[in-house]
Amino acid sequence: MSGHRVRAITRRLLQGFRRDRRTLALLFVAPLVILGLLGYLIRGSSTAPSVGIANEDSGQLGAIVAESLRHSSLISATDISAADGDAKLKDGSLAAYIVFPSDFSQQAQAGNVSPEVHLEGSQPGRSTPVVQALQLALSSVAAQASGRDIRFAPRITYLYGGANFDTLDYFGAAFIGLVVFFLVFVITIVAFLNERSQGTLERLMASPLRRGEIVLGYMLGFTVLALVQSAEVLAFALAILKVHNQGNVLVIFAMEALMALVAVNLGIFLSMFARSEFQAVQFIPLVVVPQVLLSGIIFPVSSEPKALQVLSDVLPLTYAVNGMRDIMVKGADLTWLSLELDVAVVAAFGAALIVAGTTTLRRTLG
Amino acid sequence: MSEAYAVQVDNVSKSFGGFQALNGVTLRVPRGEIYGLLGPNGAGKTTLIRHLVGLLKADGGTVSVLGQGMPNVAVLRNVGYMTQQAALYPALSVEENVQFFAAINGADEGVKDALERVRLSDRRKSVVATLSGGMRQRCSLACALVHRPQLLLLDEPTVGIDPQLRVQFWEDFRRMAEGGTTIIVSSHVMDEADRCQRLGLIQYGRLLEEGTPAEIRAKGGSQNLEEAFLTLAGRGES
Ligand SMILES: Nc1ncnc2c1ncn2[C@@H]1O[C@H](COP(=O)(O)OP(=O)(O)OP(=O)(O)O)[C@@H](O)[C@H]1O
Ligand SMILES: [Mg+2]
Repeated sequence: MSGHRVRAITRRLLQGFRRDRRTLALLFVAPLVILGLLGYLIRGSSTAPSVGIANEDSGQLGAIVAESLRHSSLISATDISAADGDAKLKDGSLAAYIVFPSDFSQQAQAGNVSPEVHLEGSQPGRSTPVVQALQLALSSVAAQASGRDIRFAPRITYLYGGANFDTLDYFGAAFIGLVVFFLVFVITIVAFLNERSQGTLERLMASPLRRGEIVLGYMLGFTVLALVQSAEVLAFALAILKVHNQGNVLVIFAMEALMALVAVNLGIFLSMFARSEFQAVQFIPLVVVPQVLLSGIIFPVSSEPKALQVLSDVLPLTYAVNGMRDIMVKGADLTWLSLELDVAVVAAFGAALIVAGTTTLRRTLG
Repeated sequence: MSEAYAVQVDNVSKSFGGFQALNGVTLRVPRGEIYGLLGPNGAGKTTLIRHLVGLLKADGGTVSVLGQGMPNVAVLRNVGYMTQQAALYPALSVEENVQFFAAINGADEGVKDALERVRLSDRRKSVVATLSGGMRQRCSLACALVHRPQLLLLDEPTVGIDPQLRVQFWEDFRRMAEGGTTIIVSSHVMDEADRCQRLGLIQYGRLLEEGTPAEIRAKGGSQNLEEAFLTLAGRGES
C-alpha cells in the first residue's frame, strides 16, 4: 500500500470531474430535482380517496353515519345519488361509493348492518381506507345511537379487479411496460454513444448512409430486441407471478412494442446531447426517474398537485402506463376511447422522437 | 468521369473556436494519382481529409470531390475513408466488420477480395477485440476499400504495420492507382512519401510546398527526403 499511489488515483478522478462541468452539475442538481419532486408529490398529493355517499335510509342512522364519514380523515366524502354511482366510478371521479339502504336503521335495530360498498377496485391502496372509514364511523356512531353491539357485514362489489386483487396486480401492469421502456432506453443510448466514442460514427457519416437510415436501422434492431424481452417479461408476469390480467395479451404486447419504440428513439435523441457514455448514464436520474414518478405508476396522476399534473400530462410514460393498466386491470381493448387516446399519444411521441433524433443527428463533426 | 481532378480544394479555411486549423489551402489531385500529405502533428492533415468527406464544413473556400461540390452524400458511395484510429466494431468479427462497411456503401461483393488484400483471410472469423493493433489497422483498411472506391482517403494507414506488410501495401496502392483509383494518404514515414507521385507539405494549416519527391528534394536542397522535409518545415517556421 502506498499512500502516494492511492492519492494519485483519487486526484486523477477529481481532476477529470473538474473538466467535466456537466457531470459535476448533474451530480449536485439531480438529487435535488428528484428529492424535491418526490417531496412535492407526497406532501402535495391529496391522498384521501373520493367516496360518494348515497343515503337512502328511511330512518335516522344513515344520516348520522354519513355525517361522521364526512369528517373522516381517511376519505373525502360527497353526497351522490346511488344511480350515478357506477358512472362516477367508471370515469374515475370516485374511488368508491357507499349506499345506505332504506332499511338501514332497522338493520341496526336487529344488530346486523350491511351497507353496500361499491369499489372501483383497480387500486387496492384506495379501497382499504374506504372500508376502514366506514367501519370506524359505524362502530363509534351506530353503537352510540342504538346503544347495543352491531355486527358489520358490508356488501362489497368491485367494478374492476376483485377481493383477491392485490398491490402487485396494480403495479404489475405498469411495471411490465416500465421495465422494457427503461432497459431499452439505456441500451440504446449507450450503444449510440459507443458508436461515437469508438469512431465508427465518423465512418458512418463519411458513407452514403442517410441520417434517417441510421435512425431507422437502430430502431428496428432494438425494437426486435425489445419485443423478445417484452414477450419474456409478459410470460413471466402472467404465468409465474400470476399478475391479474383482464385484457387481450396481443393488445398488451402491442402497447409494449409502442413503448419500446419511444424508448429507442428517446435514447437516440438524447445521445446527441451526451459526449460520453458517462454523460449518457446521467440521463437516467434526470429523464427517467421524474418520468416514472410523474407517470402515475406510484402516485395516481389525479391525486398529484395541479402543477405536477400538467407535467404528467405532457410525458409519454403517463399515457403508456395508463394504457397498460386499462388493458390489464379493466380489460380495455381498442374500442375504448381512453385506450385509443393513450395509444395515439404514445405513437405520436414515438413519431416526434424519430423526427427529432434524425434532425439532431448531425452529419458534420463541427 | 469527365472531371480530370478527383479532388479540388480551393482556398479552404477552417477554425475551431479561435484556432485556425486550415488556412487557405488550395490543392488539386488528378485521377489515378497517389498524393501524400505530410506534416507534423497538429498540422491539419486529418482536418483536411475530413473536409473531403464532408465531415467538416469549410468556413471559407470550396471543396469538390469527383466533380461534385462537398458536402454531397451521393458522392460518398465512391469514396473510401480510413480514419486515423482504427474505427471498428470490437464485438464483431473481422469478416462481419468488412461486410457491414460493404453493405452501407452499397457493395455486396468484394469482402473476400478485401480480406485477401490486407492478408486477414485466415483471421476472418476472429473477433476484432482480440486482434493485435496492426491487424486492427489492416481490418480498418479492408473496410475502407471493400466497395472499390474511386477515391481512397487513408489517414496514416500504415501506423503499427510491420515492414514487410507495409511494402506489400504500397505495392497494392500502386496497382490500385494504375487501375484508376485516386489515393490520398497522410503519413510521417519518409520512405513511404517517396512512393507517392506527389507530396503536399502541410504546416500550421497551410500548404507549404507541393511537388514530386524529386522536386521536394530539390527545393529542400538535399538528396535525403527527410532532411529536405525538415529544411522546408524549418523555413515555414520562420
Ligand atoms: N474538433 C476539433 N476541435 C478543436 N480543435 C481541433 C478539432 N479537430 C482538430 N483540431 C485542432 O486542429 C489542429 C489540426 O488537427 P489535425 O487532427 O488535422 O492534425 P493532423 O495533421 O492530423 O495531426 P496528426 O499527425 O497528429 O494526426 C490541431 O491543433 C487540433 O488540435
Ligand atoms: Mg491526423
